[in-house]
Amino acid sequence: MDHFPTNWGRPRNDAYDAYGTYPIAQRPQNNPKDAFSAGVQHTQQPIVTGTSVLAIKYKDGIMMAADNLASYGSLARFKDIQRLHAVGNNTMIGAGGDMSDFQYIQNMLDELMIDEFTAQDGLALGPAEIHEYLSQVLYARRTKMNPLWNSILVGGFKDGQRFLAYVDLLGTTYSASTLATGYGSYIAQPLLRKAVEGREDVITEAEALEIIETSMRVLYYRDARSLNKFQVATITAEGAKISESKSLDTTWSFAEGIRGYGAQTQ
Amino acid sequence: MTSIGTGYDLSASTYSPDGRIFQVEYANKAVENSGTAIGLKVKDGVVLAVEKLVHSKLLVPEANRRIQTIDRHIGLATAGLLADGRHLSNRARDEASNYRETYNSAPPLKAVADRLGLYVQAYTLYSSVRPFGISTILGAVDKDGPSLFVVEPSGVFFGYNGAAVGKGRQLAKTELEKLNLAELSTREAVTEAARIIYLVHEDAKEKEFELEMSWIGTESGGVHVHVPKDLLQEAEAAAKAALENFE
Amino acid sequence: MTQRPQQHSFNPYTENGGTILAIAGADFSVIAGDTRQSEGYSIQTRYAPKVFRLTDKAVLAVNGFAADGNMFVKKVRQRLEWYRHAHSKDMPIRAIARLIQTMLYARRFFPYYVYNILGGIEEDGTGAVYSFDPVGSYEREACRAAGAAQSLVQPFLDNQIYFKNQTPAPGTSFPQHLPLNTVLSLVIDSFTGATERHIEVGDSLEMYVVLAKESPSIQALQNISGIQEKTSTADGERIFVIRRDLKKD
Repeated sequence: MDHFPTNWGRPRNDAYDAYGTYPIAQRPQNNPKDAFSAGVQHTQQPIVTGTSVLAIKYKDGIMMAADNLASYGSLARFKDIQRLHAVGNNTMIGAGGDMSDFQYIQNMLDELMIDEFTAQDGLALGPAEIHEYLSQVLYARRTKMNPLWNSILVGGFKDGQRFLAYVDLLGTTYSASTLATGYGSYIAQPLLRKAVEGREDVITEAEALEIIETSMRVLYYRDARSLNKFQVATITAEGAKISESKSLDTTWSFAEGIRGYGAQTQ
Repeated sequence: MTSIGTGYDLSASTYSPDGRIFQVEYANKAVENSGTAIGLKVKDGVVLAVEKLVHSKLLVPEANRRIQTIDRHIGLATAGLLADGRHLSNRARDEASNYRETYNSAPPLKAVADRLGLYVQAYTLYSSVRPFGISTILGAVDKDGPSLFVVEPSGVFFGYNGAAVGKGRQLAKTELEKLNLAELSTREAVTEAARIIYLVHEDAKEKEFELEMSWIGTESGGVHVHVPKDLLQEAEAAAKAALENFE
Repeated sequence: MTQRPQQHSFNPYTENGGTILAIAGADFSVIAGDTRQSEGYSIQTRYAPKVFRLTDKAVLAVNGFAADGNMFVKKVRQRLEWYRHAHSKDMPIRAIARLIQTMLYARRFFPYYVYNILGGIEEDGTGAVYSFDPVGSYEREACRAAGAAQSLVQPFLDNQIYFKNQTPAPGTSFPQHLPLNTVLSLVIDSFTGATERHIEVGDSLEMYVVLAKESPSIQALQNISGIQEKTSTADGERIFVIRRDLKKD
């Protein structure tokens, strides 16, 4: 007898997802217990997710961007989520992947910054230290087979030095003058490289914004998990700043002319 | 004190027949021997100031600080045993951090003072421990504005507009009462605090001392930091000048 | 039967491409690697070093899963520092080799997914190369290639260094060790070749050269452009690094 009413009259096997929902809805299990699987359970898939984060080096520092969408599978679930987060005055992080894991990371770093501040030793963590710390945390978690499911960009400006690096759920790290996570690494990264590589020291803030906005527009056209509402952050000698949410003009009239797939009858 | 030789003063877990706990009273003596610490709650902030008695010329200036930062917006000054002060400030940091973790918001000073009061009071209950030999002034600007508390060795804590603990507390309190604290700006309070510390030290007049001052207010960006060097020197100069006029 | 909705388990590994190699000479050792880091068809960065100076006489190249590689180098360096604190000298290379085997085997059931090649100078002043598999099996060799283009580079090295499939001219024999300038040319050719034929190899090349004390091979480094010395103490072994561009496509 199945004692869970939610299961009554429903298929015994939910592994087949007839309606293509994602993640697959879980109902209470009333099957014989598997003694081994009853142990510690860890995150094996992200649930509420953010998509790409972009970042480039330019003359005065680093510019980053991320849209305001947190998706639940293919559902655009939360449309006013901030995916950029300042850590102190010299560092900005931006994350794709699981948003609850990202919020956990934000709290962890905020607590770390307070711990460092209360020491009152005149030292402050800069972008390089925060990136190293994050890398160690994410690598330690993957090693415990309990990952924090994110791809994170760390941008910073301290002591006249720009900093830009990546870290992900596996603990993989790297640094380059343009970086993009998720879908952006396929769509935006080539555009960013073409616009930035070799010109890091001459690109002005206005030019950097143009490059970032062009890439965000292309991503909005091509990435089905993106939103035309995003924020841009700059990290310069003036500190770490995040803009208000903004959107870009887009054109969709061409869609009318497309033939060969979709709903048209001729 | 009538406690000597009676045997009722050997443990914090033993009352005297008239209902006192002598160990707690001895702890208060430890506070009374210490350099004065004061706190001013004013219009737009809080100022903490400490008369740090320097027992050796060999000490590095600014070493052995008696004012600690507990959270971004909370400061703590102690009078009494220096090591006890550092222990309690570490505890206060843990409590503030725990509050943040639980409620995801900056701890109000009252919550931290409450938890510290409970902690200090626990050290008055057992024969295996001694009470804290410190009085603690807590200052903050939280969501309800500036606030100021004092935690005593017994574990009781009270909120104040102006607070003074340590050797020169009586004179300091008299001086604080003369001030219109509610109308003072934080910057003005820095000058007043410096003057009071210099004034109460005059009476003791035996040792060298160093003035240590911190503030929390709009001028410090709502964050607890030591008063900038130039302002500290300015306040010290004003305090010395005021002292000469005083006499 | 227990049925559970799809539970694809988390894969803690990835493969970050690139290639490394090392060649031992009579009194020197060359350790090299490209600097491209990739995942799938994406280049993550054009500059992520895979070759690391450990001491004045030992250099370690790591290749495979980059996060494991970086962590492994960090832990080896920590052990070498502890050794310095305890014994007031650098650990000899044969001891480093055994240390690496122990550290790798300690993770036999959750391995560092990394191929290691250790190069440097032995206590007797000879050039040495040690190569490892991910779980610590190791041996001393004269040359070794590892990583994405191992299958392209190793046969070339076998032919050019061990003279495999060659027969000496009548009355002559093959040399036991090659001179430094020949070795450097072989390394550059290996990587330009691998860059040409393997998509995960390219961007730039870093070659570390470790010379034995007062090695005459220093002559070969005299006219090399952009060479940089990495030695920390005088009158001992010397370390140099030579950087060259590779194709970025």
